[in-house]
Amino acid sequence: CGRSQSRMGDHTTAEKRLRAICSHVFTKEYKHAEELIATAQTIASPGKGILAADESIGTIGKRFKGIGVENSRENRRAYRHLLASTEGLGKHISGVILFEESLFEKMDDGSLLVDGFKKEGIVLGIKVDKGTRYLPSTDGELYTQGLTDLDKRAKKYYDFGARFAKWRAVVKILPGKGPSNNAIQETAHSLARYAAICQNNGLVPIVEPEILMDGDHDLATAQKWTEIVVSACYSALRLQGVLLEGTLLKPNMVLPGASCKKRYTPADNAAATVTALQRSVPVAVPGITFLSGGQGEEDATIMLNALNQPGLGYRPWSLTFSYGRALQKSVLAAWKGKKENVPAAQKMLLLRARANGDANLGKYTGYAANSGEASKSLYVKNYAY
Amino acid sequence: TSPRLRLPLRLIIPVPPPLKMRIGAKSAILTLGVCAALVALNSYASSSRIGAGLAATGGRTRPARLSRQNSPRNQVLSRRGEALQTSSRRAPQLSVGAACDDGAYLSKDQKAELKRIADLIATPGKGITAVDEGPGTIGDRFENVGVINTEENRRKYRQMLFETPGAPDHLSAAILDPETLYQKSDTSGKLFPESLKDMGILPGVKPHLKVYTLPGTNGETVMQGLDSLAMRLREYKEAGAVFAKWRSPMTIGEGQPSDLAIQANMNDLARYALICQDEGLVPIVEPDVSLKGDHDLETAIVANVKIQSALYKAMLDHGVYMEGTILKVNMVNPGKSCKTPYSVEEIAEANVHVLRQCMPVAIPGVNYLSGGQSLEDAAARLSTINKLRKNCPWNLSFSWSAALQMPLFELCRGKDELPLAEMSDLYAKELKVASDAANGLHNPNGSDGAHIPPNAKQMEAVAA
Repeated sequence: CGRSQSRMGDHTTAEKRLRAICSHVFTKEYKHAEELIATAQTIASPGKGILAADESIGTIGKRFKGIGVENSRENRRAYRHLLASTEGLGKHISGVILFEESLFEKMDDGSLLVDGFKKEGIVLGIKVDKGTRYLPSTDGELYTQGLTDLDKRAKKYYDFGARFAKWRAVVKILPGKGPSNNAIQETAHSLARYAAICQNNGLVPIVEPEILMDGDHDLATAQKWTEIVVSACYSALRLQGVLLEGTLLKPNMVLPGASCKKRYTPADNAAATVTALQRSVPVAVPGITFLSGGQGEEDATIMLNALNQPGLGYRPWSLTFSYGRALQKSVLAAWKGKKENVPAAQKMLLLRARANGDANLGKYTGYAANSGEASKSLYVKNYAY
Repeated sequence: TSPRLRLPLRLIIPVPPPLKMRIGAKSAILTLGVCAALVALNSYASSSRIGAGLAATGGRTRPARLSRQNSPRNQVLSRRGEALQTSSRRAPQLSVGAACDDGAYLSKDQKAELKRIADLIATPGKGITAVDEGPGTIGDRFENVGVINTEENRRKYRQMLFETPGAPDHLSAAILDPETLYQKSDTSGKLFPESLKDMGILPGVKPHLKVYTLPGTNGETVMQGLDSLAMRLREYKEAGAVFAKWRSPMTIGEGQPSDLAIQANMNDLARYALICQDEGLVPIVEPDVSLKGDHDLETAIVANVKIQSALYKAMLDHGVYMEGTILKVNMVNPGKSCKTPYSVEEIAEANVHVLRQCMPVAIPGVNYLSGGQSLEDAAARLSTINKLRKNCPWNLSFSWSAALQMPLFELCRGKDELPLAEMSDLYAKELKVASDAANGLHNPNGSDGAHIPPNAKQMEAVAA
């Protein structure tokens, strides 16, 4: 019984096996199960990851401000079209997460903005949460809203062609205390509810319990809370009948707090991350697509590469990326809103995508270190988008 | 081969089936009341004089009332357990988490040792022989075949099991009853724990547990045994045990296992595990869902996912070091009197499915119990589980008592003395079957491992 390092079983065999136990599931009560499983596995394909281009109008405005571009609908369309029309993007990007405006956006010739992604074989994803609010009677902890009419919206997105969704929950490690039980339960429960509703309407839910880097806690503290929060999420997911094989996890990497005085190497962080996942993520989950959480482009790539080195123990899930800032910083800097800069910007995107794709395979050699904005940190305190 | 699956199925996903859970204010108050009572009981016990007396000394001394002059047990208790000589046969893994373990309550060295033992127990191709029946239980088995239940017979019988030629090739560990920890081998002259270690078999112990029925739950139980557990474990560790085992039985039935029974039992298992690790012993946690009943395979899947999910969450929340634990669990099976037939592949799929839904990668191994299955059925199922395991990372092996030993007792019928040589021969053959199954190399005969509904069995017997 070879215990090889292969991360995923062949999905047709997995399908057949599940079917052998419960053929009923695929026909009547769980009509999307086959597709959900296939989509999740496609997104978690070796050498690929997710481009998170789902910045809300307000957030993309902040990005544009940084490069001196006006936050107009036209500019937003132009920028996302730059991403969508990048030839060869599908080599290292398996899925793209979009904001609703971009998903339905049309170009002047009547074609859809997303046509470019489709041509590259990139699965369309949609951000379905409606931002964070302060959780009453806590010390600034947050909850995420967006469950109202999620079933209707999910169906609308599915009918349009989206096949996965994303919902970002935010957890804070309060100094000396950690997240409250209130916040953990709320996070786990609403993530599970969102996931169940999405699956019922054909969308693979990406489950994102982001524990912010804010704080001066050390690596061990970050690891402990990641284990507890992630494990609470899976308890809730199982309780609410979510098909784990048709989900993806988008966690933070386990990193020390942004203002922690102690220094750790990428290998330390990787060991902490893998250990936390080995204690809390079921084998049934096909892929873990990390958020970058404020790390600079190059740091995020180096960390992903460290996570995929041998010697960290068994990792039955694919460990890959779902990066927003860490894929786009250099792209935006190269574009600066000008049409003539589009090819250069697209080249940057391809470079970072390839670097992260190689990192997923543990093969990144640092070739993209000095390009563009690679080495700049992207940490913003109390980040919300 | 059994007929193709024809299941009036509901979801395989772990949505609790529409069991008649007791709802309503009355039950809620009762539930809270029982929980409060349990909490009160446990906190009373832990602050009792036994614990307090020990704590005061600050060291690992025995309370006076347990001393008996010149008993073998007394002699052992004054010695420390010896370090195990054999090194891990498992592929070496990087010691993960060195930097991130700072500040955790177990030291790096304590964790390393727990992990080392757990990894040894989880040696690929090897399993556990469970010989932890108390004198009463094994007495019943002896008397059933006409053997007199004396301490010497128990000792001779266990010695035969331990010293069967070839046993160390198939066994990584043995679970002992406390009595056996203090008995000697008359071939080596050494106490059994030491004797076993010399052979490369890790000795462990099942501390005494007493079943307790939860009031108002229609017969659901918890196991009593947390009181003074730390102190008893210390004794067993000094006697040479390197791991312990705690079994929490549950049943599937109308309204069972209830959330209350699951929570109560899984919390107890987690606390037991925490205490074990604090005392330097690897905890084998054993949630055991009985075969009894007529529920189908799908119901069993749902119940098992629910139970195991609660177990790992409780362990994590209690701060148990996952890498230093072992799971001993029932195979997921339809109820014994279930009317639907299942093939051994379907049963194996159900088992792999349950593990993949909730078991942490961090726990190194699963040792399935037999729980009333024959050796043939258990081996067939274990082997098929291993064949169909795909990317399951855990060692999937056995921890068998009845499946291995009941055939040996049958050899005793009509004999004046224990037929030790004959029993040993059969046991050796059985161990080979077991370890083949643990390697996925055992080929089932005929319908071994399949579930055949009771009526069909009778018809088969009649036809035969």
